[in-house]
Amino acid sequence: MFSLLQSEWFKLRKSNVIYILFAGPLIGLLIGLLGNDNVFPDEVNQWGGSLLMMNLTYALLFLPLITGVLAATVCRYEHQAGGWKQLLSLPVTRGKVFITKYLLLIFLVLAIQLLYLGSVFSVGVIHGYTDSFPMDIVWKSILGGWIATFPLVALQLWMSLLFKSFAAPFAVNVIFTLPTILAINSEKFGAYYPWAQPVLMMNVGEDSNNVFFIPWEQLITVVGGSFLLFFIGGYIYFRQKAV
Amino acid sequence: MIGKLIRTDFMKIRRKGIWFLAILGPFGVVALQMVNYGLRKDWFIQQDTFSWFYYVRNVSAFTPFALILGIVILASFMASIENETNAWKQLIALPVSKWSVYLSKYTTIGLLLVFATCLLTVFSLGFGVLLGLGGEIPYLDLIRYCFYPLFAALPILGLQLWIALVFQNQGFPITIGVFGVIMSYMAYFLPDWLIWKWPSLDNQWDEPLLNVCMGLVVGLGIYLFGMLDFIRRDVK
Repeated sequence: MFSLLQSEWFKLRKSNVIYILFAGPLIGLLIGLLGNDNVFPDEVNQWGGSLLMMNLTYALLFLPLITGVLAATVCRYEHQAGGWKQLLSLPVTRGKVFITKYLLLIFLVLAIQLLYLGSVFSVGVIHGYTDSFPMDIVWKSILGGWIATFPLVALQLWMSLLFKSFAAPFAVNVIFTLPTILAINSEKFGAYYPWAQPVLMMNVGEDSNNVFFIPWEQLITVVGGSFLLFFIGGYIYFRQKAV
Repeated sequence: MIGKLIRTDFMKIRRKGIWFLAILGPFGVVALQMVNYGLRKDWFIQQDTFSWFYYVRNVSAFTPFALILGIVILASFMASIENETNAWKQLIALPVSKWSVYLSKYTTIGLLLVFATCLLTVFSLGFGVLLGLGGEIPYLDLIRYCFYPLFAALPILGLQLWIALVFQNQGFPITIGVFGVIMSYMAYFLPDWLIWKWPSLDNQWDEPLLNVCMGLVVGLGIYLFGMLDFIRRDVK
């Protein structure tokens, strides 16, 4: 298992994925610097206002969409010139290959989230915020947003294994991500829509008693449930896939 | 020659779900309004905005995203047909010039987008009639707000097709495409000279036609630049 991860890491290093990772913080910086944060009253923590605005666009569109790009990147090497045959003829099980690719992906998403945290901090420094840095909120939304992408990553890995091209899994991703714009406006529907979870998890809410910004039941049923569905679906598909 | 090339390009996209996407895109844009009006119809009536004028503008609020995402997907797709099967050499070895190959790809995507935009006009007209919006149907306004974003998005089409054809790894063009979508989501905050703002038809002079003209002129410029670069490059 460890050597599989290592070999995935080697393949990834040569695929220029680093440029894709840096798109996240760049987007964050752009939103933070272009957007107008004077709309919030003075009593609100300055960081909170910036976070609210940055997280909305970042988690609504960017985070779900980029998971698809990453998933396709991770599978690109094998899709070219019979790479699956070579990889699977090694003494590894298909299940382990699938799990390794998945672990690598969630690690990459975590890296994006941490880089994004860096850009949140930079925006504050550039704006010259004097309020104290809200460590718990940042932590909650960065880690929460990360966990909320688990099911999305699983589905995108499945789609990337299914399709050879980048465009097809991306199209699937877009079809599910765009309705989020409407879903988050509806209390009833938004809570059950897996693609709306990143933005709900990252959105800085009022109630800070919970560990995350959404109730535990919602986290377990919606995020956990869709994760199991997509992960098992992809796992079964990959075990039966003809290479 | 160019006609034949376009025909082969359309043949290559058969049964790949591209036509489905070209139908789904405009349907999705109108479907968002179905949800919007389905949930808030009373609110619109209360606000006195239950009319064709506001309906057309509500529809066109989502057109830029669908359009840009469609461009990103189609451009990457057109490039990956030859990338995946390493067919560039075979295609270029035919008695066709490189510029006509590029023009054919561009035209194919353009025709698909025109098809999608026509559907958008029909769908939004259909749903508007179904809603029973007040007043006379503003056909001209409807066509304008459906087609203007398309012309204003031509620079993005030129850019996406160029980078999709230049990069072997389609991750880059798609990441740049995602970037563009986010930019168009924040169009309101963007300066007027950024091409991702144009499909929103918003500018400081409040003149949508300006975005269309800019789109056509800059679109042609980016197209020529991309084509010349494509001709200059070696085929892998």
